[in-house]
Amino acid sequence: MIQKWYDPFSAGEWAKRTFSFLNFTILILTVAFGVSEFRFDWCEKLVGAYLVTTNDLRPETGALWKAGRQTSDAYKSLNLIISQREDSRRSVQRAESFPLLVKSLGSGEWAILEKEQFRTLYLSLSPDVARQLIDPSHLVWLLNGNITDRIFCEGLMDGIKIYFINSQNRVIHQIDLKKNTIKKLESANAPIKGQLKEIEAFTGRIYPAENFFDAVFKLPPEMISELMVDPDLLLKQEGTIQQVGIWNEADDGYIKLGFEFEYRGESQVLLIQAREWAVWQLSLILKGENQ
Amino acid sequence: MKFILRVISLVRLTFFICLVVGALGILGGILLIFHVAGDLPKLPSPLSRIIETPQSLIYASSGQVLMSMGERKVVPLAMVSKNFINAIVATEDHKFFEHHGINKLRTLKGLYVTLFSAGRVQGASTITQQLAKNLFFSFEQSWQRKFKEMLVALQIESVNTKEQILSAYINQIYFGAGAQGIEKASQIFFGKSALELNLGEASLLAGLPKSPTNYNPFRHYDRALKRRDIVLGRMETVGFISHSEAQDAAATRPQLYSGRGDAGSGSYFIDALVKDLVQTYGEDVVFHGGIRVYSTLDTRLQSFAQKAVKNGLGKMDTLMGLDPKEKDRPQGALIAIDTGSGAIKAMVGGRDYHTSEFNRAVDSRRQAGSGFKPFLYYTAFQKLGLNPGSVMTDQPVSIPIAGTKDWEPQNFEKRFSGNMILKRALTWSVNSIAAQLVAMTGPEAVTALARACGVNSPLENVYSVALGTSLVSPLDMAEGFSVFANLGIKHKPFLFWRVEDAFGRVLFERIVQNQKVLDPALAFQVVDMMKAVVDTGSGRTIRRLGFKRPAAGKTGTTDSFNDAWFTGFTPSLCVSVWTGFDKKRKLKDNRGVGITGGRGATPIWTDFMSNAMKGEPERDFVIPNNIRFEKVDPVTGCAPKVGEAGVSVALKTGQTICGEVEK
Repeated sequence: MIQKWYDPFSAGEWAKRTFSFLNFTILILTVAFGVSEFRFDWCEKLVGAYLVTTNDLRPETGALWKAGRQTSDAYKSLNLIISQREDSRRSVQRAESFPLLVKSLGSGEWAILEKEQFRTLYLSLSPDVARQLIDPSHLVWLLNGNITDRIFCEGLMDGIKIYFINSQNRVIHQIDLKKNTIKKLESANAPIKGQLKEIEAFTGRIYPAENFFDAVFKLPPEMISELMVDPDLLLKQEGTIQQVGIWNEADDGYIKLGFEFEYRGESQVLLIQAREWAVWQLSLILKGENQ
Repeated sequence: MKFILRVISLVRLTFFICLVVGALGILGGILLIFHVAGDLPKLPSPLSRIIETPQSLIYASSGQVLMSMGERKVVPLAMVSKNFINAIVATEDHKFFEHHGINKLRTLKGLYVTLFSAGRVQGASTITQQLAKNLFFSFEQSWQRKFKEMLVALQIESVNTKEQILSAYINQIYFGAGAQGIEKASQIFFGKSALELNLGEASLLAGLPKSPTNYNPFRHYDRALKRRDIVLGRMETVGFISHSEAQDAAATRPQLYSGRGDAGSGSYFIDALVKDLVQTYGEDVVFHGGIRVYSTLDTRLQSFAQKAVKNGLGKMDTLMGLDPKEKDRPQGALIAIDTGSGAIKAMVGGRDYHTSEFNRAVDSRRQAGSGFKPFLYYTAFQKLGLNPGSVMTDQPVSIPIAGTKDWEPQNFEKRFSGNMILKRALTWSVNSIAAQLVAMTGPEAVTALARACGVNSPLENVYSVALGTSLVSPLDMAEGFSVFANLGIKHKPFLFWRVEDAFGRVLFERIVQNQKVLDPALAFQVVDMMKAVVDTGSGRTIRRLGFKRPAAGKTGTTDSFNDAWFTGFTPSLCVSVWTGFDKKRKLKDNRGVGITGGRGATPIWTDFMSNAMKGEPERDFVIPNNIRFEKVDPVTGCAPKVGEAGVSVALKTGQTICGEVEK
């Protein structure tokens, strides 16, 4: 075996090198390091203490924080639902007519309508139009008969539904306001351009205004009020009445009367509802005069 | 000499190599810590934040709290039995009070196994590490996850006392059966507080977190006991208990809490309700939003329903000669609907929620058998102009079906009785007449009618649908028959009336709408026929068992006796009961005789209804104005001969008997 230049030349040198102060120090330090760590866990404590200092800078990740985020998301969702409900409620409260009420509720949205508001909206309609929505006597029972607890509106794709609900949450009456019904409501009081003779349903029952009103005034006063349930409409209409026609069909105890107005050279027909039995009496007089 | 010198030289070299490697390892570890420290999750302060999720509450119709979702009943260590604390420490981490987050020797062993045993990752998690894992990490097994979990454990140890850590741990570990935290587990499994747990109970609970499903004592009691014995062994080894104490505890069989299946704990109804809510609002809102749900459940009826199903199935076990310990025993389901609103008042989806969470009342689809015939008879009245007094012949029938062999349905009794009126045909559940009727109406009309009544399961447009071969749920049947009970008015079944947020703001409110789907007079005719089923037909057991109120219904038994049904109603409550095996197995008594709906399901229905209707005013079904009753001979359909009682049939205005012209 070849002696390397750095190998000790004697056993004494060997021992001296092996048990040198440096070696001892390293050995003791190493052992002390190991033993003290096992005894005092200072490594763990050091790392733990370091991590505490970085805690605020670290991300909020993991199951615990996820649960917190889920709670926060849940509150956001709930607040969104509630704010949508509030928006619906406010826009319903602001609605001044049934067409506006329909516009205020999107599909799937709902809101509670105050009884007083429904009453106001209903009374803003002309009686004949209002009657198409719900019979006044029925409404009196629903609103004043202590059976309706709340009125609930639900938005649909093509309109709204209005539910009258009792205290057991049961629907006691339902009104379906479809968009075409709304259009009818909007145009119900508007006069139709043209003349009575152009409307087939009046054929054979068109009378000059003078004759018509002569016949009307021959009726007892209480019958006249039944004949013109909503005279406001006629009074508001501009122009002069030329002719009056009687519709050829009764509907739910009412018959339409057509008043042909002339205004600035144009003819318009305004339709109003009249009680069937009053019209029948009037027709007898009109026929007698014609004869 | 030279040899000694060489050995010394080698030892010295090895020492220094180890020293260098160790130093490099420490350096690497420090660098790794700095590297991953930024990715570690932030720790909340204090740790008790783990219980801050708001509870969502579910109320019964009476206002009583049925369930609190996300609920963790947190208790301080002082309120937990010492037995349990010792048991969990001995089992999970017996050096817990000595280390500072990690058990170094176990970690080194785990590291060795992970590094040198291919494909194996050995854990050495202390309680603190488990807490760190449960709070922040997934259950993915990787060294990166383990390392991060270890670092978080060190931080937890740095800022919390051992008591705080142990308290956080035992209040968040999952014990199975919906029990999160020791207090709830103690209540669910033993019906007592965590402070009252004795050694046997505490050691059983301490064994569960290892595998809550496998050791669920409600399902695998013996397995849970074996695990309990291991826990006791650990306690003895660690020195927490003596050998005799361990032996005494091992000899006990802790009594599990029997009231766990009531409406207050997990139940089929709540599962169905939560599923419905999650579909509407999403999981976050339901489980973390702190909402208040006012359900339709009537706890009184629910209790009767559970008892009725339990008693009925118990009797069926006896009838079939089955041992109560036998695993494969028949199951049952019951659902009760308020006919006036559609509110589901009671729901039982099986024998025991804790042994099987599958909700047979809602999610199971089984053949209804003859229970489906009322839909057929209504269709026949509506489409063919027949009435309960119309006469048909019970005879062998062969109905040609394109592309396959003729359909030749048999009667249940395998015999034919000749002419009879339709009321009798339904009362006796005659298949040949039902087959003739469906051949005339077409199966499409029958399925359309059933769907209109609320049968939502897919129905096949085949002739045999009239004999109930399509698969339906008890909910389908109850919903469909509710329409008959209401004389044609349908109410969609529902589970909750109202949902509010934590501040009482309304998110949803149920309003009850009537939807007319059947002609009231024709529906009444079918109801009158179904009353005869209860009074004199296949459901007459109801009268024999003492239920005397006006009621109507129809039994159903499948050809192979796999399913036994009874769906029936009073004017206010409609109840469907199903019994059968989950697997394809026949319901036969110990003499080999098949169990019909009349024998299997009807007693359960009667038991429930007798209790449910107690105290309710007795009322009969409303007779529509255009209905009159006439007595007819059940064979000829004409007026009965002098001296014979005949059978009363309900006829609609315009309908006559025996081909007479209405006066």
